[in-house]
Amino acid sequence: MYGGGNGYRTWYSDGWSGAITGDAIPQYRAAYGPTAPLFGTDGTDESWGAPLDGRLVRHWWSGTQVAPLTPQPNNWEEYWETGQTRTNNVALSGGNDKGNFRLSIGRMGQEGIMRSNDFYRNNFKLNTGYNFTPKLNVTLSAEYIKSGSKNRGYQEGQQFIWSHRHVSWEQHKNYEDYTATHIQRALPGRLPDSDPPNWQHTFFTNPFYINDKLPLGNTKDRLVGNIALNYKITPYLSLMARSGTDYWSDTRINIINFERVRNGNRTPGQYSEEVLRAQETNSDAILTFNKTVAKDFSITSQFGGILRQNYYKRNFTRVGELVVDGLYNLSNSVPSLNTVESRIEKTEMQSLFGTFQVGWRNALFLDLTARNDWSSTLPADARSYFYPSASVSAVFTDLLNIQSSILTFGKVRASWAQVGNDARPYQLNQVYRSGGAWNGSTPQYFENVTIPNSGLKPEITTGIEFGMDLRFLRGKVGLDLTYYNQTSRNQILGVEISKASGYNNRILNAGEIENKGLEIVLSGTPFKAANGFTWDVAVNYARNRNKVIALADGLSTLILHQQRGLNSEARVGEAYGTLFGIGFERSPDGQIIYSNGLPVVSTTPRILGNIQPKWTGGLSNTFTYKGVSLSALVDVRIGGDFFDEGTGTARWTGQYEETAVGREEGIIGKGVKVVSTNPDGSAVYAPNDIIVAANQLYGYNNPRRYHEAVIYDGSYVKLREMTLGYSIPEALLKKYMIRTVKFSVVGRNLAILFSNHTHIDPEVDRFGGNRQGFAYGELPNSRSLGFNLTFGF
Amino acid sequence: MKKYILLSLALIFTATSCTSEFDEMNVDPNNPTKISAQYLLPYALERSIDRYWGGRTRFERLNLDGAMLWMQYLSRNIYSNEGDNYGISPAMQNNNWQGFFNDGLVNFQRIITESGPEGTTPNANYEGVALVMRSWLFSVMTDMWGAIPYNEALKGTSAEPNYSPAYDSQEKVYEGLLNDLKKKKKKLNPAGPAILGDIVHNGNIMRWKRFANSLRLRLANRQAAKKPAESRAIMREILSDPVKYPIITANADNTVLRSTSVLPSNNEWHQVLIQESRTDWNISSTLADKMNSLNDTRITVYATPVGGKYVGHANGLPDAIATTYLATSSGVGTAFTRIDAPSVLMTASEVNLILAEAVLDGDITTGTAKGYFEAGITASFEQYGLTVPATYFATVGEVTREKVLEQKWLALYGVGIEAWTEYRRTGFPVLPAKDPRAVFENDGVLPTRLPYPGSEYSLNKASLDKGIALNGGADNMKTKLWWAEK
Repeated sequence: MYGGGNGYRTWYSDGWSGAITGDAIPQYRAAYGPTAPLFGTDGTDESWGAPLDGRLVRHWWSGTQVAPLTPQPNNWEEYWETGQTRTNNVALSGGNDKGNFRLSIGRMGQEGIMRSNDFYRNNFKLNTGYNFTPKLNVTLSAEYIKSGSKNRGYQEGQQFIWSHRHVSWEQHKNYEDYTATHIQRALPGRLPDSDPPNWQHTFFTNPFYINDKLPLGNTKDRLVGNIALNYKITPYLSLMARSGTDYWSDTRINIINFERVRNGNRTPGQYSEEVLRAQETNSDAILTFNKTVAKDFSITSQFGGILRQNYYKRNFTRVGELVVDGLYNLSNSVPSLNTVESRIEKTEMQSLFGTFQVGWRNALFLDLTARNDWSSTLPADARSYFYPSASVSAVFTDLLNIQSSILTFGKVRASWAQVGNDARPYQLNQVYRSGGAWNGSTPQYFENVTIPNSGLKPEITTGIEFGMDLRFLRGKVGLDLTYYNQTSRNQILGVEISKASGYNNRILNAGEIENKGLEIVLSGTPFKAANGFTWDVAVNYARNRNKVIALADGLSTLILHQQRGLNSEARVGEAYGTLFGIGFERSPDGQIIYSNGLPVVSTTPRILGNIQPKWTGGLSNTFTYKGVSLSALVDVRIGGDFFDEGTGTARWTGQYEETAVGREEGIIGKGVKVVSTNPDGSAVYAPNDIIVAANQLYGYNNPRRYHEAVIYDGSYVKLREMTLGYSIPEALLKKYMIRTVKFSVVGRNLAILFSNHTHIDPEVDRFGGNRQGFAYGELPNSRSLGFNLTFGF
Repeated sequence: MKKYILLSLALIFTATSCTSEFDEMNVDPNNPTKISAQYLLPYALERSIDRYWGGRTRFERLNLDGAMLWMQYLSRNIYSNEGDNYGISPAMQNNNWQGFFNDGLVNFQRIITESGPEGTTPNANYEGVALVMRSWLFSVMTDMWGAIPYNEALKGTSAEPNYSPAYDSQEKVYEGLLNDLKKKKKKLNPAGPAILGDIVHNGNIMRWKRFANSLRLRLANRQAAKKPAESRAIMREILSDPVKYPIITANADNTVLRSTSVLPSNNEWHQVLIQESRTDWNISSTLADKMNSLNDTRITVYATPVGGKYVGHANGLPDAIATTYLATSSGVGTAFTRIDAPSVLMTASEVNLILAEAVLDGDITTGTAKGYFEAGITASFEQYGLTVPATYFATVGEVTREKVLEQKWLALYGVGIEAWTEYRRTGFPVLPAKDPRAVFENDGVLPTRLPYPGSEYSLNKASLDKGIALNGGADNMKTKLWWAEK
C-alpha cells in the first residue's frame, strides 16, 4: 500500500504541488533522506507516493506537525452513510349504491448514502364516483404530489478513483476540527487561500463540505386530475367523455460555488435558478359496444377520439458572481456575468380510433384496431398517419377438446401491429442559436449544427409477435414462449454526419431498424405437501438483438454515443452497440507489442467490443408454509462489454491494490517487443523484457487515451432479492377489529455471485437508453434491507 | 342508437377539426431563422481563435498540449503523456476537427453565403472578412492534417447538400486558399459598408486587408520550395504595389484577438493556468537555454524567473522526474496568462521574417535579407514593449536561412501552431538531442501531423481512405506533409 502524491513521496505542504521550505525541511529530510528533491506532490491526485509504513510525514490535518503515514482500511465504510427510506400510507375508502370514495395520504422520506443528501414525496389522492341515475355515473380523480430535496446532488463515487490512498474520510467529515491547523497556500502579493480543509486543493474540494454548503435542492408540485362522465345508452352501448390534466412545476436552486481564494485567485459565489413548468391535457370520448351475440359469440367494439395538448416552459438563470455570498437571489448578482436561457414547447395531437374484438366460446379471440393521428410536429402533408393492428389467440386445449393430464392448458397467440410516432417539435426549419455574449456586451449567435428536415414523415413501427402459453400436470409446470420482431421504418433520429459538412447531425427518417428477441419463462411447483408447504420455481431467459438494416441517403453508421473519443456504433448490417476506439498494436498472435517497455498505441480506431449481452435470465424460488413465505430471486446477465473509465482511471492513478506490484523494482509489461525485421518486412518478436517504472506502465490504463485498456465484460450473476413474509391468521385478529396484518423483510441487491470485474458492480449504465455501455465513478449500487408492515381494517 | 353515434361523432369532429393552427404552433418560438452577420461573426471568431490559441478543455488543448510542447517552448511537469511525450488523446484530433468545422467554419461560410452578392443581406466587407477567416482556419487545418475536405466541405445545407465530402490534397487546398485570398481583395473595401461584431479589428477593414495579404505571403512562402514559380509570382505581386496589396508592417496592425476581463471572454491560457489554477507547465530548457545564450530579454516576458534566473527542464520526462521541476523551473510569463492577454494570429515580426527568407531564397528582390531580418526581430521585441539590446544583432550573427527560422521560432512564442508548421517544413530550429531520461511515444518522432478523427472513420470512411492516400503515407503522426522540404 502506498500513499498519495508521486515520486514515492507523500507529503502535504499546502494542498498544491510545490517546493518544501522552512521548518518543513528537517521533518521532510527525516522522512525521505538527504537526497530526495525538496518538493511536495500533494497537488497530484494520484497515489504513487511513499509506502504506508508509519514514517512521519505532514498530513493535511496535522499542520506543522508530523504524524505516521498509515493505511486506512475502513475508508469505504467511513465515507458512506447508511441510507434510509421510510414510506407511510393511509387509505380510507367507502361506498354504497349511490357512490364511492377513496382517500389516501402518503409520505416517503429518504436519506441518501452520502451525507446531507435527501428526498421526500408527499401525496394526497382522492377518487370518487357518483351515480346520478342508474345510467349516468360521474367519476372524479385528483392527486396532489409535493416532492423535493434539500440536496439531491451527490450521485458519484469519484473520490475512490482520485483521492490519496492514505487519507481518512472520517477526518474529512469533521473538517471543521482542522480549520485552524490546516495549512493553506499563501502566495506573496496575493490573497491567502481560503478553501475548506481537504486532502488537496488543486483539483478537489472536500466532498462533505460541498454537500453541506453547495446543495442542489428542488421543490416540485404536481397536480393530476380528471373528470369522467359515463352514460349507459342501452345495456350494451355506453359513452364515456373524459377530460384530465397533469401539471407540474419544479424549481431547482443549485449552489455552484462559494466565494473563495484558490492559488491566490478569488472566485466568487455562484448559483443557478431553474424553473420548469409542464402540462399535458388529455380529453377523449369513447363509445363502447359490448354484447354476446347468438350463443357463442361475444363482441366488444369501441370508437373514440382523443385530443392531447402539451406545454413546456423552462426559465434558467445562472449567476456568475454573487455580490453578497450566501444570499441566493437573482438580483444579488453582477448582471454582466449572468447567463439566461429559456424555452417554450407546445404540441398538439388529435386522434380517432376504433377497436373490434370478437370472442368465440371464450377460447378463440380476434382483435382488430385502427387509429389515425394528426400531429402538430410534422409537416402539413405528413401530419396525418394511420396505423392498424390485428391479433388472434386460441386456447387450443379447449378448441380441440384436449383433455390430458399432461397438457392441461394450451394457448397460442399471434399478432401484427403497427404503431405510429411523431417527432419532437421544431425540427422542420434551420435556426440560429444564442451563444452568449463577447465581453458581456456583444451578443453572439451560431448556426444550429443539427440540420432540420422539412420533409419529415411519421415513424411507423411494425411488430409481429408469436407466443405460446402451456401448462402441464394441472398447472404444476408452465411454459411461456414469446418471439417478437419489430421493425421501425422512417425512425426519426438525429444521425451524426461528417463534421466536414459543417454540421454535426441531421434529423432523418432513418431507414430501417430491427429489434427482435426471444423470451422463455418456465415455472412450476416441484413440491407441494399436504400440510400446505409449497415450493414454487420460475426460470426465465431472454435474448434481444438490435440491428440497423438500412440508413437513409447512403449513410452507413449510426453513432449511439461518444465518450472520450470512443464510439458506441450501429453500422448497417453489423451488430448494434459496437465499441469503436483506440487500441494497442498487437502481434499476429494477438499479444500487445511493447516499445521501450511500454505498449504501442494505434493511431486509428478499431472494433474493441460490443455492448449487447448474449442473454439475460433469472431464477426465482418461493417457499410458503401457512402464513410464512420465503422467496429468492437470482438475476443473470451474460456478455455485453462496457467502457469503464472509473476502473481504468483508478489503475492509472495508483488507487487499486494491483498497482502496488512492481512499485519499488519496476515492472515488465506482458507482451512482445520487436527485435528485428525479416527480409519480407515482417517483424520478428521476442517477449518484452524491458523494465519500466510501475506508474508509467499502469498509466496505460488511462481511458482518455487507451480505450482498449478499459473495456470490461459486463456479465454478472446476482442475488437480486430475498423476501421473508408473515401474515397473522385472520382468526387471531378478529377480536381486535383488524382484518389483516402482514409483515415482511425484503433484502435487495444482496450479493454478486459471479462477475468478471474485480472492482465494481458491472450492472452500471451511466447514460441509459440507447447510450448503454459506459461507466465512470458512479454512486455505488447499494444493498438494501426493508421492513414492511401493513394493517387492513 | 343511431342518434347517439351521430352525437358522439359530432363531439369527436369538433375536437379534431382544428389542425389549421398546427403550422403556426410548430414554428420554433425559441430560436430565430434569420440573423444578421454581426452576431455570427463574433461567435465564429472567438470559437476558432480560442481553440487555436488554447484551448480551455483538457485533452484537446491544441496549443498548450500540442504545438507549444512539441516546439519545446514549454515542458510538462506532470502528465507528460498528455502531449509532451508525443502521445495525445483521441479528443485532440476528434474535438478540434469538429470544433473548427462546426463552431468556426460553418458560421464563416454562412456569413459568406448571406452577405454575398446573391445572399439575403449583401455586404462585401462581411463577406470579405469571413472569407479571410475561413481561409486562415482552413490553412491551420491543412497544416495539421494534410489532405482535408475543402472544395466539397461546408455544404451540409446547400441546395445540393454533401454529407460526406471528398478530401483535397494539401497542394489543392493551398491552391484554393491562395485563390480565395486573392479574390477577397475585391471584397474588402475600407470605404465600403461598415461591419459590426468584429471583435478582432473593430471594423477596421484596412487591417483585414493587411492580414489577408500577409496570410497570402505566408502560404506562398510555405509552398515556395514545392511550387517555386507560382509562389514567387504571388510574393512579387504583393510587394510590387503596397497600396493595392497592403501588408502588416507595424505592430499596431497585427491580427490578434484581445481577450477581455469579462468571463468567459478571457484569454485561454488565463482560463487554464489561472482560473482553473493548473500548474502543469514550465518553460522548456530548449527555449531557456537558447534565449539565455543570446541574452535575449524577451525571456522576461515569456517566462517568470526562479531565484532571479530563467531556467527550464527537458521535454518528455516521466512524471516522477518531471514533477521535481515544478518549483525549480520557470513558469509561463504573466504577459501570456493575463486575463486580457492577446491571442495572436499574425504579426509584423512574422511578415518581416517571411520576407527575409524570401530574399535569401531569391523569391523576391525588393529589400535585403538583413533589413527584413532585423526589422522582424525589432518588431518582436517592440511587440512586448522591449527594445533590442545593443549587442543583440552581433550576438545573433550573420543572417542565414537557419538564423531567420530560429528567430522566427523565438518570435512565435505563443503562436505554437505556426512555429510547429515552420519546423515541419524546414527542420529549423535545430532542436537539442533528447534528454537521456526522457521517454517518447511515436517512435520518438516529433509529431508531423495529427491523425484524422474517429468520426471520419465512422462517418466518411470512403472519402477518408482516399484522403489518406493523398497524403502519401499512413494516418499517423509520422507521415510528412506536402510542404516538408526535407
